[in-house]
Amino acid sequence: MKKQIARKVLGVGASILLMGGLNLANAETIKIAIAGPQSGDVAQYGDMQVIGAEMAVEQINAAGGVNGDKLEAIRYDDACEPKQAVAVANKIVNDGVKFVVGHLCSSSTQPASDVYEDEGIITITPASTNPDITERGYQMIFRTIGLDSHQGPTAGKFIATVVKPKRVAVIHDKQQYGEGIATAVKKTLEEKNVNVVLFEGVNKGDKDFSPLIAKLQKENVDFVYYGGYHPELGQILRQASEKGLNIKFMGPEGVGNKDISQIAGKASEGLYVTLPPAFDQRPENKTLVDAFKAKSQDASGAFVMTSYAAVQVIADSIKGVGSTDTDAIQAYLRSHSFKTPMGEIAFDEKGDLKGFDFEIYTWHADGSKTVVK
Amino acid sequence: MRKNLPFALFTAVITLVLSLPILGLKLTHEGTKLVLEGATQSTYVYIFLAAAAVFLSQLFREQLNAAKAAVKPKGNILAKLMPPEEKRDMAGKIFFVVLLIAAVLIPFNTGRIWSDIATLALIYVILGLGLNIVVGLAGLLDLGYVAFYAVGAYSYALLSQYFGLSFWVCLPIGALLAATFGFLLGFPVLRLRGDYLAIVTLGFGEIIRILLNNLTSLTGGPNGIGGIPKPTIPMLQFDPEFSIVNLEFSRRAAEGNVAFHEFFGVPYDSSLKVVVLYLIALVLALVTIVIVRRLIRMPVGRAWEALREDEIACRSLGLNRTAIKLSAFTIGAAFAGFAGSLYGARQGHISPESFIFFESVIILAIVVLGGMGSQIGVMVAAVLVVLLQELSREFDEYRLLAFGMVMVLMMIWCPQGLIPMKRPHLQLKQE
Amino acid sequence: MLEVILYFIQQLINGITIGSTYALIAIGYTMVYGIIGMINFAHGEVYMIGTYVAFMAISGMAMLGIEFLPLIFLVALLSSMLVSSSFGWAIERIAYRPLRGGNRLIPLISAIGMSIFLQNYVRLGQGSRDIAMSSQISGGWSFGPEDGFQASLSYIQVLIFIVTIISMTVLTLFISRSRMGRACRAVAQDLKMANLLGIDTNRVIASTFVIGAALAAVAGTLLGMYYGVVNAFVGFIAGLKAFTAAVLGGIGSIPGAMLGGIILGVTESMTAAYFSTEYKDVVSFALLVLILLFKPTGILGKPEVEKI
Repeated sequence: MKKQIARKVLGVGASILLMGGLNLANAETIKIAIAGPQSGDVAQYGDMQVIGAEMAVEQINAAGGVNGDKLEAIRYDDACEPKQAVAVANKIVNDGVKFVVGHLCSSSTQPASDVYEDEGIITITPASTNPDITERGYQMIFRTIGLDSHQGPTAGKFIATVVKPKRVAVIHDKQQYGEGIATAVKKTLEEKNVNVVLFEGVNKGDKDFSPLIAKLQKENVDFVYYGGYHPELGQILRQASEKGLNIKFMGPEGVGNKDISQIAGKASEGLYVTLPPAFDQRPENKTLVDAFKAKSQDASGAFVMTSYAAVQVIADSIKGVGSTDTDAIQAYLRSHSFKTPMGEIAFDEKGDLKGFDFEIYTWHADGSKTVVK
Repeated sequence: MRKNLPFALFTAVITLVLSLPILGLKLTHEGTKLVLEGATQSTYVYIFLAAAAVFLSQLFREQLNAAKAAVKPKGNILAKLMPPEEKRDMAGKIFFVVLLIAAVLIPFNTGRIWSDIATLALIYVILGLGLNIVVGLAGLLDLGYVAFYAVGAYSYALLSQYFGLSFWVCLPIGALLAATFGFLLGFPVLRLRGDYLAIVTLGFGEIIRILLNNLTSLTGGPNGIGGIPKPTIPMLQFDPEFSIVNLEFSRRAAEGNVAFHEFFGVPYDSSLKVVVLYLIALVLALVTIVIVRRLIRMPVGRAWEALREDEIACRSLGLNRTAIKLSAFTIGAAFAGFAGSLYGARQGHISPESFIFFESVIILAIVVLGGMGSQIGVMVAAVLVVLLQELSREFDEYRLLAFGMVMVLMMIWCPQGLIPMKRPHLQLKQE
Repeated sequence: MLEVILYFIQQLINGITIGSTYALIAIGYTMVYGIIGMINFAHGEVYMIGTYVAFMAISGMAMLGIEFLPLIFLVALLSSMLVSSSFGWAIERIAYRPLRGGNRLIPLISAIGMSIFLQNYVRLGQGSRDIAMSSQISGGWSFGPEDGFQASLSYIQVLIFIVTIISMTVLTLFISRSRMGRACRAVAQDLKMANLLGIDTNRVIASTFVIGAALAAVAGTLLGMYYGVVNAFVGFIAGLKAFTAAVLGGIGSIPGAMLGGIILGVTESMTAAYFSTEYKDVVSFALLVLILLFKPTGILGKPEVEKI
């Protein structure tokens, strides 16, 4: 018995050594880390990131790789927890990875990017929308997604010029993302002299919003902007319509998820949502979307195409520079534009996308949406 | 065997009831309608296999127990591995020295990931030791310990942001502030016992977290506070003039500080920052260990334990129970403040979501897993819990499932903890 | 003036509804605590599982084409009670019975482990996305002027309130009149003595867990129908609130659970109504601390006698 165990231990040890050896043999590959939540309750968003980025790696390799080298995608799980994000960042540094696609949650991207900046590791986040991330004068951080501070004003302008409500309530979920957007919306509305009568936070994970709805009714609110995610807004819509409060609601891309129609049912009809353009609907991306379908993956997730684009941008800039010198690559990223499934994109000095616009959609009870002209 | 049959059948049916709906049926959305879907065939096979296994194990319960008793050594396995009682003190010291040398060598052997993870483990060691005073020694169930941890982290972040104070100044301030909070909370709740105390401390922890989240103008709300500097090390400088400078370990030093690699004229090594933080954490953990070790042997430490064992007897001996409980609460909180400052320095960016109730649960689990009151046990458990989180990263979605299961099994198999507490005592040598 | 009153009434109704649901879950905590003096931390998870099973039953019957509402409600209720009670039984068997008699912190930790395990067990089986269901019972009454603020009371709110009252009454009668109830009270007073007198204490404790879990399933079914949404993590917050309610009312006391639940619910809705939603948890926890300061064993809890 003991001998058997010893043999097993030896076997495992040998295979670990072998795997280590294999890694050395593959030293020619360019490693790209995909850092995001692969476990925990936001793992579904991490999956979008993974399928997008891995598809890009696969297709670039199939087309001959970068300067003759193959790309290699490595997954790192941070479970969307800040303390694990730092551990992951250190692991990435230790593994000698020079390029990161991630992280997903802004609160993970922020502490991790301190490490990356210091180590000269190029980081492109396909999902973190918090403005602070690129506000710190860092050289190495980029993103292929818009900012909360852009989305807010877009929504605010739309409310002030198209909807023209008399009494607006701005509600948010007290999270980095939701409160950030809600604050931006409130600021824009006040600049345009729209009367904001209520600005209030709710708790994430709450189920009962009847006190809030009674308050909206008492205040005679005729339009509500909600900064946050779909589970809470879905409940608010549902309970509002049950209480006979039939007014228009609006939310950011965090609510633009098919689940909201399941939660709110008919009450989700006519909801306004600001969304990044639906890249998977564009005719020029049809072959790519088909490639996802062939692997029975869903290309419509909000972060699939942004992750794909992030990998592509990294590959293109390595080609452009001719080496993996990250300092040269960050300069290259800032001075060139790239053709991706998101269209022609370019980065500004801070590392944000130039001219990334959100579009305004009307949501329908069956989970579909139409662009508001 | 015959008499086990009804119960075995019953448990098998229960197993089916527990697993069939949750694993065998799946609620999914079809359009906007909710529909039920069956699982794959293999899932059903597994469910029935599980039920059969439960059935058989209950049917042959006696035989299984007999077999288990034959295999299993009596008593705590770890206790068996330990040296005999009278040599334990000496062996413990040797073990400790070896451990310390190993700990110092970690960064030089394994590089930055393990230094970083070890830093995290040390933070939990400090937290565990602090909570051990409150829960393990004084027997006060505290479910809101994370509040003091948050106070420590935020006081360092805020003081360095608004007043530019250095880590070494903030560290005692953070501990002091956390202690003050502990004192203030301890004062009103001391009248409460057991579970009432637990729920009040839990509420207090939540109140602190919500306040940190809501007071956006001061704490940055859900955004948290970023750009927290790493600790610097003061150093005597002789050139150009005799003075004290703060050495920094980043590529570019902030105003007034000098970068380490420039000072010594060595090439910049980025992992140094992580290693230095680890060494600082190691020193702080050692300080904590020594202080707590002394405290346990002091009258106040004895009083904590006396209070835990029998409050009434304690009072009749003339001990002031309010003072004793308060001292446990305050000192425990101070160590959380310590750990909090360290966490802020390691993280560089903190936000309220790092201080949720689950964090309190993990720290409490460390104390109980290690063996309440036992210092070595708590240290081992802290390292294990952090390692478990790191190693189970590979298991993806099964990770928390396994974590929960291990917690239950540990409590069933060794409810006294990994290394149960032993009071230091003298033994009369018998010829 | 009328509007002010109507608004107050509306918020009171909202508060009582939330409070009743807290109370239903709180009974499970209170019963287990009353009998073995331990907090069942996995109770919130049992509630969550109850909601899932109710959803399964409802959508299953919809697929079979059954539309008779009382039947749907009854089947959903019974099936979720069956599955939840099994979970309650298993929790007692696995995480409590082997640990009885030791330090009281140990079952607490094993229950926390159980709660983490159950959350992830359900997440593995059912996915981490929210499961939503359209409302089965809609409509209600409203009062007030046509053009001004109207207070409303929906049928489902009334149903929740009625079912809570019925469950409480049945349970109180069960505890005070039935043979099993008498055994429960005896075990609560003195476990060893009850054992000596020939009461099968193991059975009494197991049935406490089963009854508590069945009531959590009632809450799960009702709340599932009211909110229409469930995910694997809803049990935690609900459990925390219910636990607070149980302590507030005096843990171990069944009318106390009801009172505590309603006080907590009304406090929350009044804070949201007249102050701000984001502070409702702060206010309710602060209230808890205050009440415990003046009545250290909760509002209806029996004062602890110090035995010397």
